[in-house]
Amino acid sequence: MSQFLQATVYGLLEGGLLALVAVGFSLVWGVMNIVNLAHGAFVITGAYIAWKLNTELGLDPYLGMLVSAAALFLAGYLVQRLLINQVVNAPIWMTLLLTFGLDLLIVQGLQLLFTADFRAIKTSWGTEGLALGDVRVPYGRLAGFGLAVAVTVALVWFMTRTRTGLAIRTTGMDRAAARLMGVNVRHVYALTFGLSAALAGMAGAILGSINTFSPSAAGGFTLQSFVIAVLGGLGNMWGALAGGILLGLVQAWGGQYLSGTLVNAIAFGVLVLVLIVRPAGLVGRPYYEARAEA
Amino acid sequence: MSTAAGRRRRRGAVAPTPAALVAGRSRSWWIGAAAIALGLLILALAPTYLLLESEQRTLASVFMFVVLAQGWNLIGGFAGYPSFGNVVFFGLGGYTTAVLMAKAGAGFWITLPAAAAVGLGFAVLMGIPILRLKGHYFAIATLGVAEGMREVVINTGGLTGGNRGITVPAVGEKATTSYPGNTGFYFYFLVLALIAVATVWAVSRSRFGYALRAISQDEDAAAAAGINTTRAKISAFALSGVLTALAGAIFAFQQVTIYPERLFAVDITVLMVVMAVLGGAGTVLGPVIGAVSLQYLSEWLRDNLPDYHTFVFGAIIVLAVLIVPMGIVNFTRDAWKRKRIAVFEAVRQYRL
Amino acid sequence: MRSAHLRFGLALVLVLAVVVGACGKGGDDEEESGIKGDKLEIGAALSLTGSLAKEGALTKQGYQLCQEKVNERGGVRVGDKKVKLAITYSDDKSEPDTAARLIDNFNDDGVKLILGPYGSPSTEAAAAAVERNGQVMVDSSGADDNIFTKGYKTIFAVLSPATDYVAIIVEAIMKSANPKPKTVAFLSADDGFSQTAAEGGVEAAKKAGLEVVAEESFPEHTTDVSSALTKVRDEKPDLILGSVHVEEGIAIVKQSRELGVTPMGFGETVAPPTPDFREALGDAANGVVGSTQWTAQVKGQDEIFGTATDYAADYKKRFDADAEYHSAEGAAACLALVLAVEEAGSADSEKVRDALSGLDTESFFGPIKFDDTGKNVTKPMSAIQIQSGDVKTIYPEDQAEAKLQWPGTGG
Repeated sequence: MSQFLQATVYGLLEGGLLALVAVGFSLVWGVMNIVNLAHGAFVITGAYIAWKLNTELGLDPYLGMLVSAAALFLAGYLVQRLLINQVVNAPIWMTLLLTFGLDLLIVQGLQLLFTADFRAIKTSWGTEGLALGDVRVPYGRLAGFGLAVAVTVALVWFMTRTRTGLAIRTTGMDRAAARLMGVNVRHVYALTFGLSAALAGMAGAILGSINTFSPSAAGGFTLQSFVIAVLGGLGNMWGALAGGILLGLVQAWGGQYLSGTLVNAIAFGVLVLVLIVRPAGLVGRPYYEARAEA
Repeated sequence: MSTAAGRRRRRGAVAPTPAALVAGRSRSWWIGAAAIALGLLILALAPTYLLLESEQRTLASVFMFVVLAQGWNLIGGFAGYPSFGNVVFFGLGGYTTAVLMAKAGAGFWITLPAAAAVGLGFAVLMGIPILRLKGHYFAIATLGVAEGMREVVINTGGLTGGNRGITVPAVGEKATTSYPGNTGFYFYFLVLALIAVATVWAVSRSRFGYALRAISQDEDAAAAAGINTTRAKISAFALSGVLTALAGAIFAFQQVTIYPERLFAVDITVLMVVMAVLGGAGTVLGPVIGAVSLQYLSEWLRDNLPDYHTFVFGAIIVLAVLIVPMGIVNFTRDAWKRKRIAVFEAVRQYRL
Repeated sequence: MRSAHLRFGLALVLVLAVVVGACGKGGDDEEESGIKGDKLEIGAALSLTGSLAKEGALTKQGYQLCQEKVNERGGVRVGDKKVKLAITYSDDKSEPDTAARLIDNFNDDGVKLILGPYGSPSTEAAAAAVERNGQVMVDSSGADDNIFTKGYKTIFAVLSPATDYVAIIVEAIMKSANPKPKTVAFLSADDGFSQTAAEGGVEAAKKAGLEVVAEESFPEHTTDVSSALTKVRDEKPDLILGSVHVEEGIAIVKQSRELGVTPMGFGETVAPPTPDFREALGDAANGVVGSTQWTAQVKGQDEIFGTATDYAADYKKRFDADAEYHSAEGAAACLALVLAVEEAGSADSEKVRDALSGLDTESFFGPIKFDDTGKNVTKPMSAIQIQSGDVKTIYPEDQAEAKLQWPGTGG
């Protein structure tokens, strides 16, 4: 029993981290119909920024993540404004290719800058934990989970209560109408992408304090984001959190009762199954119709 | 908005109009046929007179990517369903051949139809539920299937060798089919590439091809016009699966030892897409040009910029998307027709 | 429109003809001996990008240091003349098929002597091509025993085989641990090399009288091994042995802390000797036992690198980092090849092959002597332990600079 509880708690916390990684990805996909293959590269970039600040200035990753977020917001805004906006109306594989090219550029750039060594941001409290009977709750992961929830709440507030958030949502629902309402679509798109990159950077900083990372880890984060975004429903902030937690739990339980090497197979199995059975995601409704013949 | 979309569609289409088909039947047919015959002759004689072993190997991989890009072209370019998991057929084909040769002692040639059948069967099975999805949903679903299949292969080590890889008996007494060497694989891949190009050419001129283009432009309208869209889509996917699986089968024999990590690599799918799209998706020649140019470009970069080649390759993809998003073939045709080269024409067309 | 199609047909043929023609530089002035002018040309296909970029770069450093040391000494003696060593590097992008293609490229450039790529899959793919082409390869890092069961005649590996990686840790701990552990759990990555290493470890553990209470696997390159640890926790093993790479190795120690898994000690392959491991874990790294192909305390010396200590000093000077075993493997492979060329008095691949199979020498890397399958069987592996943030060699006893601190989770 304690084994099951431990796996559940750990899976839940891991799920929060996964959600933090995926929420920006889901936002961009939902609002702009862009699948950003460079999302994982943004996450890793955020991790390197926080790591650099930590090793050079001793800055705690929870402060470093703000710098990561700011830097990536700027980078993301420019990438969207200068590059992606140029091909937004092209067939969708164009944006896939463009962001794939960006991914190569960033990952390889990071490797040239920082080598392929494995890094980790050390905190004094990261691996310490609360012991509830037999069940351990590590502080580092608990904080990450808390941040994921806080970010989700903040995002929901931002998207439903602020002018900018409403502009983003309107644009996501109907671009032409948004333009008629006086929304500067180019700016809004760039803002959305910047916001997504900032969230990725933040996630990277926190993950860097919990796990090890190197440039080649980027692809894995992008893949996880796919799964979570689909599970949660695109552009749905609560959905991303729920999707992350669901994936975390499924992987944790799967790891307990099946072979440990099957965790990836489980994740992709769930992805395909959800797409086939309920492409709108498990939570809420997507912004646009997924199926041809449903 | 809608006019821009209309302009785009007309440009993307390669469809010859009936009038054009009737006209211009005479001399140019012979010139074309002679040119193609000459080309084939050069390709057939090259290994003996022109090419070193390693160059044959490089060309073999170019031909392989011609097959893969054409395979993607059928489903992604013609039908407009951007498969991001076509590598699953490559891996399945490769593993069919490797497992049959290593575990059942089958000869290589017997495994080829088996690999094709597996490609076909899997495409149909997977196509029926997944081809109902559109756009990115379809892309992600295919990606999920490919990644999942890799994990399945890793986890069925008894049959597939898992991550330790599986070795085809290619040399010595246990060899079921003697190893044909670089020249042999040059011809295997060349023949398959020619078959792939011919297939796509035939498709592009057939009713089936028009049906796919119609689906790509407006699926509901296509259905309303009496096209059985489900059947057309699944057929295109199956054809794509067969070609790709055959390439995987030959690849497995060529490599002798194969690993799931590589046979199901996302990178291979991405290369298919990049080659087909930058060459010209939905055209017959585009994927050929894309495969040849990108494969050589990446070899050249690797030889000349050992540390920066991936970085530069990434930058080139970004630039290429901005400059020739409709592909080299369409770009050249436009430039030819209008007698001017419009470098950022595409950006004007697709930007926000 | 039809004639347009044909124009494209013509264009296609032109493209292909140009491509083929451009390729066909065909058979330039190859010299049979592999020596061009005053240079001995050696080819190395390495993972400089992709998932194995880190280890590829380390291996390359070993090759580079070897080239510099050899040329500093005046070069390679071939018969009665001295030639400079010139290693050409190509990037296999961590893809086995690319590694094999690069080997063919080398062959056509007349490069018959090959230094191995990084990692078992690339090495295996390269080995098949080398054997076909009649080249010779000295393998620096492909440890999976698979490579040596194929009957290849032209592949020689300076390193100890995969089956030794975990077994040496078992030996080191069972020799001097007090109190002796009674139960052990194995955690392994699911790649071929790690699985083979774990099997060797299980065998050694059983022989040493340990009870194996769990064998768990997880995907290679994962940073989350919590599932396996949670499963193992209730078994309360005295010893946890990880057959892993750097990231999984760090995760085992880190997540054991998080989850309250407290064995007497940890033993892991590959990860503990790397600086990454100590930097990522800090104090938590202390006490972890690791296995390594080489340490600076290895006995033996050679005319190019001197002793292991000399090698470590030279490496530090050149690359401003502590020497570790991947680069030493590379340097040793290069050394074996150079010695064989000198012994053969020729760069002819067959003569070098014969010289390699007869090679029996001491080196900074330990003894180098190949058996019929090409494995360097006489070389023992070493075991290290992280003690107060430093890597200390603890086994075999003739190399030991410190005693095993036990229990190993005092840090």
